[in-house]
Amino acid sequence: MRIDVNMSKCQNHGQCAISAPGHFWFDEEGRLSYRSEFTRDFLDDVEDAMDACPMQAITVVDDE
Amino acid sequence: MSKLGTPVKLDIASEEFRMNSKEVREARDAHWYAETDWGIAVLSYEDNTHLLHSPYMGQGSAKWPRQHGVSSGQFHEWWSQNLLVLEGDDHHRIRRLVNPAFSRRKVRAMEPKFEELARELIGSWIHRGEVDFASEFASPYATRILCMMLGIDESDWHHIQELASTIGLGLGVHVGDHIASIDAAVNELTVYAEGLITEREAAPTDDLLGTLLGANREDDRSLSRQELVNIVILLIFAGIDTTRHQLSLSIDSFQKQPDQWDKLARHPYHYAERAVEEALRVNPIGRWVTREATESFQHRERWIEEGTTVHLYTLTGGTDPAEFNNPCDIDLDAERSPHFAFGGGVHHCLGHFVARTDIGVALAALAGRITNVRVGADTDWLPDSGNTGASYMPITFERRNSVE
Ligand code: HEM
Ligand code: SF4
Repeated sequence: MRIDVNMSKCQNHGQCAISAPGHFWFDEEGRLSYRSEFTRDFLDDVEDAMDACPMQAITVVDDE
Repeated sequence: MSKLGTPVKLDIASEEFRMNSKEVREARDAHWYAETDWGIAVLSYEDNTHLLHSPYMGQGSAKWPRQHGVSSGQFHEWWSQNLLVLEGDDHHRIRRLVNPAFSRRKVRAMEPKFEELARELIGSWIHRGEVDFASEFASPYATRILCMMLGIDESDWHHIQELASTIGLGLGVHVGDHIASIDAAVNELTVYAEGLITEREAAPTDDLLGTLLGANREDDRSLSRQELVNIVILLIFAGIDTTRHQLSLSIDSFQKQPDQWDKLARHPYHYAERAVEEALRVNPIGRWVTREATESFQHRERWIEEGTTVHLYTLTGGTDPAEFNNPCDIDLDAERSPHFAFGGGVHHCLGHFVARTDIGVALAALAGRITNVRVGADTDWLPDSGNTGASYMPITFERRNSVE
């Protein structure tokens, strides 16, 4: 499965990194980084991240 | 963008001080910040949005009661453990557990109830052609929605609203004078919250409190009873007066632009969201977002010492001509950069989907029913600093007959 973040919407609030710290984190400049591939085991966390994003910038693509 | 002037000093405690004034606009033209008695006031949009996400900034509200002479008691106890002032893992663990209860999906499911409430309230005064908008719409609407979410009997709304406002005094400069009643309000709400939680434990529900009670993650233990009580009090504290005053401020802004009000009335579904965003940008309830430097750092030419209070000025940043065209006007069709009236970073407002949705529903319902709205000159405005709003706001209006 894949995570896609619309970086022109993202405002670096970091709610995603609270919900799914293994998949979203901040680089040293305080900008969002994320791992785009993930397995279904982490779907709950990643969906929580998607829901919690104040800008609704995250989409999850099921390409399995 | 570099500005050559020197930072001015703003007297924000003065009765005459206005955010939307020539004085503040000139201060913003002169420099990216101004000095105040309570720390640095950041004025430009660019610097505000940058500092909102700075790794050298903490939320900064933790020490407020202590700074104002309150270092024990129920309010102090609750304040030092609430989500807004917790940092790091303590904050993130709780935030992660409560976030799902406030998702857009969960909030959307409540929309029909918001619409019904708006209709009921408008119906109770529309025949009069005039009303105190603050007490006959904004207050009951904001408070009854919070009651709905927490499963509190809506007929208790008036009392809940009083308790919320009393705890709200805890963020005022006169917290010391009111501390006995603030402590009593925290006490009463603690008992109230415990009762609600006990009821839910006996008979689970799928409302917000029920969802919070079930909040659990394998790798994070669930919320303790004390944490649940604290969050219920925080929701009452953070969710009622904010929404209530934002409604009055929105009406005040739209009455100055009847063309935009009529546009909203014609296409409520299309414009409701934009209407809320524009009102929050030009006339936000929270005139600043509080931050504190957690270490010393350089920003542009200014060295900011650890512990410095930094206020991010929402209205001033949101109407910065360097970022926005016709910055002070509501324009429902304009593409705008995001405002920061809900703060930002890990403390970004938990209830923003609730506020965005219920204010949008209210504005659309009002625009559909009333027109030629005039706000009375005798409106009782709160000081134009910190959190603002109106405790009394008489309006006159005409009934809208049809929307062509
Ligand atoms: C127009 C309405 C509202 C405005 C303008 C507003 C604004 C804010 C702001 C500026 C913050 C601090 C963010 C920061 O420091 O970066 C905040 C935090 C918070 N708000 Fe709101 N708020 C509103 C409505 C609500 C509602 C309706 C609720 C609950 C139902 C709510 C619950 C909270 C909570 C729990 C926090 C603390 C979050 C944390 O620290 O993690 N707010 N809000
Ligand atoms: S929560 Fe949304 S806005 Fe915030 S960093 Fe993650 S993707 Fe960006």
